[in-house]
Amino acid sequence: MSEPVIAGATVVAGHDGEAQLVVRVRYENGALGSVTLDADCARKLMEDCGAESAAELTGQPWQRLLAVLPS
Amino acid sequence: MLDLAIRNGRIVDGTGLPAFEGDLGLRAGRIETVGGRLPQGAAARELDARGQVVAPGFIDPHTHFDAQLLWDGQARPALEHGVTTVVHGNCSLSLAPLRAEHRAKLVSMFQQIEEMPDAAFHGAFEWTWEGFADYVAALRGRLALNVAPLAGHSVIRLWAMGADAQKRAATSDEIRAMQDLLRECLEAGAVGLSTSYVDVDENLFPVPSRFAHHEEIAALASVLGEFGRMLQVVPEFYDTDITLARVDQLAELSLAHRIPTTFSPLFDYAAAPANVSRVLARVAEQTARGAQVWPQVQTRPIDISFSLDQASLIFVQTPIWYLVMRLPREQKLRSLRDPGTRTSLLQAAEPNGDPARFAKLRIRDSRDPSLVGRRLGELAAERGTTPAALMIDLSLEEDLGIHFLSASMGHEDPARVGAILANDLVHVGASDGGAHIQSFATYGDTGYLFSEFVRKGGHLSLERAVKKITGDTARIWNLPERGELRPGQAGDVVVFDPDTIGRGEELPVRDMPGGGMRYVRSASGVDAVIVGGEVVYTRSGGYTDARPGVIATS
Repeated sequence: MSEPVIAGATVVAGHDGEAQLVVRVRYENGALGSVTLDADCARKLMEDCGAESAAELTGQPWQRLLAVLPS
Repeated sequence: MLDLAIRNGRIVDGTGLPAFEGDLGLRAGRIETVGGRLPQGAAARELDARGQVVAPGFIDPHTHFDAQLLWDGQARPALEHGVTTVVHGNCSLSLAPLRAEHRAKLVSMFQQIEEMPDAAFHGAFEWTWEGFADYVAALRGRLALNVAPLAGHSVIRLWAMGADAQKRAATSDEIRAMQDLLRECLEAGAVGLSTSYVDVDENLFPVPSRFAHHEEIAALASVLGEFGRMLQVVPEFYDTDITLARVDQLAELSLAHRIPTTFSPLFDYAAAPANVSRVLARVAEQTARGAQVWPQVQTRPIDISFSLDQASLIFVQTPIWYLVMRLPREQKLRSLRDPGTRTSLLQAAEPNGDPARFAKLRIRDSRDPSLVGRRLGELAAERGTTPAALMIDLSLEEDLGIHFLSASMGHEDPARVGAILANDLVHVGASDGGAHIQSFATYGDTGYLFSEFVRKGGHLSLERAVKKITGDTARIWNLPERGELRPGQAGDVVVFDPDTIGRGEELPVRDMPGGGMRYVRSASGVDAVIVGGEVVYTRSGGYTDARPGVIATS
């Protein structure tokens, strides 16, 4: 594996009652991390990846994730 | 003569020590006697607490009652749940210090971040202040419960830097001006400074506090150190690793300036099961070094509310639903009415005719009040349809205005959350009282602590649970006159039935200024609430007209 990839994504509840997306990332060394996206970031990630469901995010490069995170 | 005697109670004094039977005597707003039996006629007023727990008033360290307190000094319904002191001004936002020309900006940020309606700020009260001392003066005389207000970093930045507060780092002169301003706030009664690394304004642009470099935070922390006051932070809680870095940063500030720090929220959810354990491990390391870093954890599970008007992420695991929900509104309405699309949606939602997935969803609000709170499964069975079909039909009938609720979608495993709440490093809080009012009820977390984690789960003893939300909170926030029942302490007391204390059903009410809607929960099992020695609520008589609340830091 040459770069970290998205290993999966799950919908969870945010503290403001909106749905959020927890995206799991598998790094080059095999370690797993997670990033929680709010609705806007998650929608953008799905659009950027051409994904129609959370399952279709699996395998996408983490650069796509970095691109939608708040600066 | 005493002013008030509370007789025959089971006293749980907020220290964590075992409960004991006895009477409590109050005079001149303070506790005078604890335990033993008071002679007949010892007090001008008496309450019989037989079979009830007598405890210190609960302290809620994370609220946004800033505006509500100006038209509702009882902070309803928080008070009836036994909350006698609230900390407001969290998350970098407070109503002071604030120049008149920045009021509109602040209101917009409150609306965006805390989902507070416009009417809460316009017409419901008169803006009579700019400085913190005048704001505190505006609160005095209105309050039925005590307040410990934080000064918001974002508004301090706005005051010192104007529009540049959302453009750049501060200069040395501007940092000195912010230090002077924070010092004035603390002298006027502020309990600390709140800041945020996360929130965005009405234009989805970072709030002013997010433009601060560490030098600015450290300079402000040094002022907090002069007073021994709190730094409250919203860290990047969506990322465990960044949160760990913030824990380290807070620890360094705590050690350098001898201040307490707290951050919120910290959640447990199945999708990131190591989040809390990793954060608490780092907090333990820093606590062992002598730092004061307190993670705030809420008691209640998190629900998701949604309507078909928005492309909620709740649909991202069902592609056809997410696809339709992302359509422009008119096209979406046509699709929902289209028989072919409807069939596809129902097949995806109820594979092989199994309605289970949507059956548990509840109706959150509707034009028809009789539907509110009903489960789609029950209602669909009554109407001879399926839950998913009913969701579509009701949404079309109400022009997509009806909202649904998916309960317990996060922070939802009582066994895990109970163990977290029982951890000595965890500060029970993060209720967000007074915020997100049109999404869910932020009241009753204290009752839920007892019903779910004392009675049902047994994660905490009664005495420990009381200590968590009284004595511990007062110690963490440096409120030495509150949180325990002992002579000389402020006369803040709650009398409750340990077998029934809890929270009521979440209900929509229209009691906001201008007739606006919010969700509330009533209390159950709380018999009486006393603030500063005066009875402010009883189960039998409701709220009283007393206004004994004070600025808790004064």
